[in-house]
Amino acid sequence: MGTVFSFDIPAAAGPVLPEVVSWLHWVDDTFSTYRADSDVSRYGRGELTLAQCAPELAEVIGECAVISELSDGYFTDRPGGRFDPSGLVKGWAIERAAIMLTAAGFTGHCVNGAGDMQCTGEPEPGRPWRVGIAHPLHPSALAAVVAGRDVAIATSGTAERGAHIINPRTGQPATGLASVTVVGPWVATADAYATAAFAMGPIAREWLEHLDGYEALGIAPDGTAWRTSGFGAYTPAD
Amino acid sequence: MRRVVLALGGTIAGLVMLLSFRTHMGSTAVAGVSGSGGTAGSGGSTSSGSSSAGAAAAAPVSAGSGTGTVLTGDVIMTGYGPTQVQVTVNTGKIVKVTVLQHTDDGVNSQMIDGRALPLLNQETLTAQSAKINAVSGASYTSAGYAKSLQSALDKAQG
Repeated sequence: MGTVFSFDIPAAAGPVLPEVVSWLHWVDDTFSTYRADSDVSRYGRGELTLAQCAPELAEVIGECAVISELSDGYFTDRPGGRFDPSGLVKGWAIERAAIMLTAAGFTGHCVNGAGDMQCTGEPEPGRPWRVGIAHPLHPSALAAVVAGRDVAIATSGTAERGAHIINPRTGQPATGLASVTVVGPWVATADAYATAAFAMGPIAREWLEHLDGYEALGIAPDGTAWRTSGFGAYTPAD
Repeated sequence: MRRVVLALGGTIAGLVMLLSFRTHMGSTAVAGVSGSGGTAGSGGSTSSGSSSAGAAAAAPVSAGSGTGTVLTGDVIMTGYGPTQVQVTVNTGKIVKVTVLQHTDDGVNSQMIDGRALPLLNQETLTAQSAKINAVSGASYTSAGYAKSLQSALDKAQG
């Protein structure tokens, strides 16, 4: 068990990596709902006030509120009534890790947290990042390839872990989509949008179409796929 | 925390085993595939009836082909049983990945049977492909797989 983070970085950025990894461990210590003594767990039980927690928790809660409102509650930091901001924390951590690498003076890096990623700059001069999207219904196949510079890709789906995202309207696992991939500037947002869209099921396409700055690819359980109208901006040139 | 160094053009891909970080409620179940070769990882292994490509219980799940140095990773004991990965490395690149043994907790095995491990292997290989830098949607997590793979690649450093 555990999320595998992978880093695709220029060779010179190697010495910076331990600090980034150390920070990600801190994120786990602070935000994990599986640790009884994390700030998130203690705050959730009412043992700590927000002011007593790491300031990053307030930042995360604030971002959750924005996306919850944008998604009409389909994204929530209280799934099933219990405080759990994990739906945003992973993307937020990936994003912050990428920013740390950039702040250290590097470009041309990709921080990947179990398939959601923040890509910065170019992997090689003159080439954009090229990311395959796993097909939720065909093992080892790709549904599409997207390309871009300074781009985030996040995918939510049933294929990897069964029906784990709950539709807050019904209280039941969301089943309208096999997977949805959101592409745009920042992965915390893309990840939360993908989670919300997946919970929405059939109405996700229209919602995603009206979001500014982010595009999406959705795949239904029968294999049919749709794309938001601006998705072509991320289609590789070759 | 350990780091693998594989040169891919101008970048280094580091596979870093990090932390217990479940993003959603639910288990981090892995596909139930028992490999042959060495000790069969029976344990809690479950292969549901509806297996997808490559999930035959008798054969190890592998991706890629090619010759080179064969490195066998440590047997990693997860909460569900043993996991062991073997890689073939040629001039600093992984050309083949084989899952020798793997067990899961049986949860959601029907959904991910036969898919997760081939996809992880595919990820490992496509990360080195000139055409694709990464795969999104493979958010399946497997600490056992990564640790065993890490240990195999560390042997190439020595």
